Amino acid sequence: MIGIEDLTVSFNGTPVVHGVSFQVGRGESFALVGESGSGKSTILKAIAGQAHEWTGSIRVGGDAMGRRRDAAFVRRVQMVFQDPYGSLHPRRTVDDTLSEPLAVHRIAGRDGKVLAMLDAVGLSRRFRFRLPHQLSGGQRQRVAIARALMLEPGVLLLDEPTSALDVSVQAEILNLLADLRAERGLTYLLVTHDLPIVSFLCDRLGVLRLGRLEEISEVAELRTGQLYSAYGRELVARSAGG
Amino acid sequence: MSLLRVENLRVRFPTDQGEVEVVKGLSIDLGRERLGIVGESGSGKSMTGRALMGLIGPPGRVTADRLEFDGIDLRGLSESGFRKLRGARMSMVMQDPKFSLNPVIRIGEQIGEALQFHQRLPARARRRAVMEVLEAVRINDPERVYRLYPHEVSGGMGQRVMIAMMVVLQPDLMIADEPTSALDVSVRATVLEILDDLVRRRGMGLILISHDLDMVARWCDRILVMYAGKVVEECAAGDLHAATHPYTRGLLASVPQLNETRTRLPVLDRDAIGAGT
Repeated sequence: MIGIEDLTVSFNGTPVVHGVSFQVGRGESFALVGESGSGKSTILKAIAGQAHEWTGSIRVGGDAMGRRRDAAFVRRVQMVFQDPYGSLHPRRTVDDTLSEPLAVHRIAGRDGKVLAMLDAVGLSRRFRFRLPHQLSGGQRQRVAIARALMLEPGVLLLDEPTSALDVSVQAEILNLLADLRAERGLTYLLVTHDLPIVSFLCDRLGVLRLGRLEEISEVAELRTGQLYSAYGRELVARSAGG
Repeated sequence: MSLLRVENLRVRFPTDQGEVEVVKGLSIDLGRERLGIVGESGSGKSMTGRALMGLIGPPGRVTADRLEFDGIDLRGLSESGFRKLRGARMSMVMQDPKFSLNPVIRIGEQIGEALQFHQRLPARARRRAVMEVLEAVRINDPERVYRLYPHEVSGGMGQRVMIAMMVVLQPDLMIADEPTSALDVSVRATVLEILDDLVRRRGMGLILISHDLDMVARWCDRILVMYAGKVVEECAAGDLHAATHPYTRGLLASVPQLNETRTRLPVLDRDAIGAGT
């Protein structure tokens, strides 16, 4: 579903991701893990079309991506960000936020689609006309996930989707993401520094360090602490000790 | 001898819907030990820390049957009285160095400011004390860091600078409110080690406030679990996994593990917990 070959991403001429290659199959959940500065979010941005200085190839659903992303792309790939406080428009109601993608893409039947999506992400219909500040962090992240799913994309790019949330709320959102993937056959590309989340939500993971991919392994290897790169093992050790 | 004795601490704020109590009758008896306060957003854990430091201003109200720090009654202590204590005898490390350091003052001078306020040392002695404390928080080249501005250092280094600033006067009590949650996983352990080392070596009392159960269990001797302004569980850190309160049990169960094989994570039943307390 996603094919990355020899991807190098730069900011103002300085490369921050160096020759990264990996494939994510249809319906698979793949994690990119690493510390801040490892380039994991930058790869997500390059795929989403938010970082423009890149070389190599990015393919989504078999189509090679250019510099610009068109309307067909956003119907296939959507993104959920870390901070639901920052990613929702503070003066638009939940209904506005969820209807807008449909309006932009001239899709009919907005009313029913909004209500169905509220049900799908487990938000009570009474929240439909609320503003973001009237919602809790977990409810807001449900809105952000709902917004991403309005165009029925096959791929979700998830950038630390639960790191701004309390652990009990994190559990709710992780369950929701697992359920949605099972129901809709979604493909996930998840960026996180939190290895236990990878164990819960993903099938495979890539370990990034300073913009280079150190290893790609099955989640079973992560669960049993058998990552093969020295750096991967170091991350596992820190995850257990920090 | 206890360093801090708190009985029935309450913190209230007026709202449009009447007064809201965010800390509901908390009691602590702290010696020179490491106490963890765990809870989620809105549990009142940070408000507890701020109340102890005298940092809740009007319209907030703090009351307690007893609120003593090293024999000093903090109830009704004036702002200038608190200023004499804060920094010198009790200090607080906040969550994010980006927002807690003054961006336009060099790091060395910022650390020296507390010394100047409380001790009036000659400039040279002050500089030496700052260098020593920077070394104590494992900054390898204190001469260079002394002259830097906060934006020129990383988050982990910034937090070490914060800790240096808080321990330069060798306080008796340190309150650390989420000292690592703005930091990268890789530097969290280092910051906590430094804090732990200082607490042990200087015999300070530490209150570590965090939402992270595992972290608190690892670095503290004793743990209070707060929920909705109340302490729902108090136990030795080693016994956390034998916790009995449904909220604590729920929290522990909802954290994914590295060897996770569950397909669903248990979710807290807040109504049931609310009814139980």
